[in-house]
Amino acid sequence: MAEMVKLFVNGQEVEVESGKNLIDAVSAVGIEIPHLCYHPALGADGNCRMCLVGIEDGRPPLVPACKTPAAEGMKVQLDAEHIKKIQRDVMELELINHPTDCPICDQAGECSLQDYYMKYDGQESRMTVPQVKKGKKLDFGCGVVHDQERCVVCGRCVRFTREITKTGELGIVNRTDAARVNIFPGQPLNNRYALNVVDLCPVGAMTSTDFRFKQRVWFLSKEKGICHGCSKGCNIFIDHNREKYKDEVIYRFRPRLNEEVNGYFICDEGRMTYKWENDQRLITPRANGSEAIKSAAVDSLRNAISQASKAVFLVSPSSSLEQQFAVKAFAEQAGATVLGFSDGYIKAGDGDDYLIQDDKAANRAGLALLGIDATREAFEAAMAEADLLVSFDNALGCSYDQDGLAKVLGSCTLAVIATNSDSLSEQATIAIPTASYSEYSGSIINCDNILQAFARAVVKNDPPEDIVEIVNRLGGELENNQQVWAALKKAVPTLAEVEPEQIPEQGLALTS
Amino acid sequence: MSDRSKLIETGTPFQFDPERDAEFERLVTRYPTRESLILPGLWLIQEQEGWVCAEAMAYLADRIGTFASKIYEAATFYTMYNLHPMGEYHICVCRTLSCYLLGKQQIVDYLKEEIGIAPGEISSNGKFSLEEVECLGHCGTAPVVQLNGEFHEDMDVEKMKALLATCK
Repeated sequence: MAEMVKLFVNGQEVEVESGKNLIDAVSAVGIEIPHLCYHPALGADGNCRMCLVGIEDGRPPLVPACKTPAAEGMKVQLDAEHIKKIQRDVMELELINHPTDCPICDQAGECSLQDYYMKYDGQESRMTVPQVKKGKKLDFGCGVVHDQERCVVCGRCVRFTREITKTGELGIVNRTDAARVNIFPGQPLNNRYALNVVDLCPVGAMTSTDFRFKQRVWFLSKEKGICHGCSKGCNIFIDHNREKYKDEVIYRFRPRLNEEVNGYFICDEGRMTYKWENDQRLITPRANGSEAIKSAAVDSLRNAISQASKAVFLVSPSSSLEQQFAVKAFAEQAGATVLGFSDGYIKAGDGDDYLIQDDKAANRAGLALLGIDATREAFEAAMAEADLLVSFDNALGCSYDQDGLAKVLGSCTLAVIATNSDSLSEQATIAIPTASYSEYSGSIINCDNILQAFARAVVKNDPPEDIVEIVNRLGGELENNQQVWAALKKAVPTLAEVEPEQIPEQGLALTS
Repeated sequence: MSDRSKLIETGTPFQFDPERDAEFERLVTRYPTRESLILPGLWLIQEQEGWVCAEAMAYLADRIGTFASKIYEAATFYTMYNLHPMGEYHICVCRTLSCYLLGKQQIVDYLKEEIGIAPGEISSNGKFSLEEVECLGHCGTAPVVQLNGEFHEDMDVEKMKALLATCK
């Protein structure tokens, strides 16, 4: 625990963390100091002057809060007339050349400039001279579109490319009111984290081609989630909406702070995995190779399992711990072999030393913890004798090419329980649609052995069942996540002391 | 302020001539960090070519080992760097306070009449170019005019006329 100090904000005594800058320190107790250029991941820059506050100890009348560490006994003024005036004046300066095109701006509703205008400014414009014209909808690459007129030149995006990605594509060119963010000719954004500048931008200057004009942000429900794009398990917001007469659609993923896992950012590939939650979903169940209603498909699979002389249950390295365990328990009950072969999820050399991992599976550590064999040898040996393969959302098609897959399947009956429709689900005799990770709750263990829990974010009009529920309908004994956890705690010593409801927001580092 | 962000790409690679190359290497030893070479490096380019093209900025970024965007920032911030070719005789008239008060406008107006170009323009025959620039640091002898980098102090229209006559 950091050392705490007592200081006064507008005469009110608050206890805050010592040494933190004033913006962060007092925001922890719910007091807002307006700021545009400061961002905790990028540090203090002090260029926007929006966070100027008064401190009654003989120092100059205005100091930037972003560069002032909290100290014992400090008397911070936020509501004094001269502070309110400076806030109004800074806002007026920012708005001189701002196009104020909020009605067509994607940022409207989550824009610092808009919020601060309402809160700290509220004046009519006094400008009678024409505004400075700058570049609109400039393609900066990596799906980032820039509007130089909306920009407040806070430099967050520039600092992000210099300090975080170290690629330095962006710069602020010109000076005074002609200053603008630009790329060097022929050198557009070229890094795998570029879309973070869209989130970092406090105004609507940086927009994403993917999200532009898709939704007004105030219609979006913002649920917490965990990205399943790789084994890092970055924390995200799942922004979704059900438009009238339509089904739930996820419109974007945004990074969510977790100091222990991903910090403030996520990678672009992970951000785009939301598309798999909407598109190419397996909708229609199949039994005996043709379309069927869901109960018929489940019945058909139940029969197939009971009639099989040797069944292989193939779990996914991206499924939750609960799902993996439920399938394993059911396999033991049904006399099937449970395996987790999924080499195709690993893209060797694709990862970097920041967030992106080689392993595109979200919970491979879960397989290891549950003692599920994921080797190719074990899978191929089991398949040589098997007459039924049930894939529990394992994208086996990415571990084999067409011929290889045909060879390993042989004359074996194929059943899949899958979120998305792919070549594997198309050739399956039995196919049952299942919920994807935005549609169920569960827990996963990331590449650093951190256990994280996530809740159901999206409820579709016709919600597909979670693998735990499907396994239960197939004859498995565990009915839901609570029952799975009770069994998990008994079966896995590492998890014996873990309370699933009490897994902290930052995740739980497992020691084993 | 005008927008200086539209760079000209010549389509041919740039490189220092041997003399500037040697000077650049000498400057490397003079500064604590290589990024300090951005401004002197731009000067060297301008000395060699008379102006700074996009290729030269990319070259300088490589030589220094920094981002091209940083060179771009510096070159567009400081108006002393020419971002397009200048006339054979490049005239800079200081427009900052002392020169302004002591009559830089008469000189600019005279030049406009005499050679037909406003600040920021190049005469159609490419002989003259005119620029109004920020403080040249000769406030004590204002107004000051630079002709191809050479200072001419305590200027007035008469002296400007005489100076123009030397431009053959």
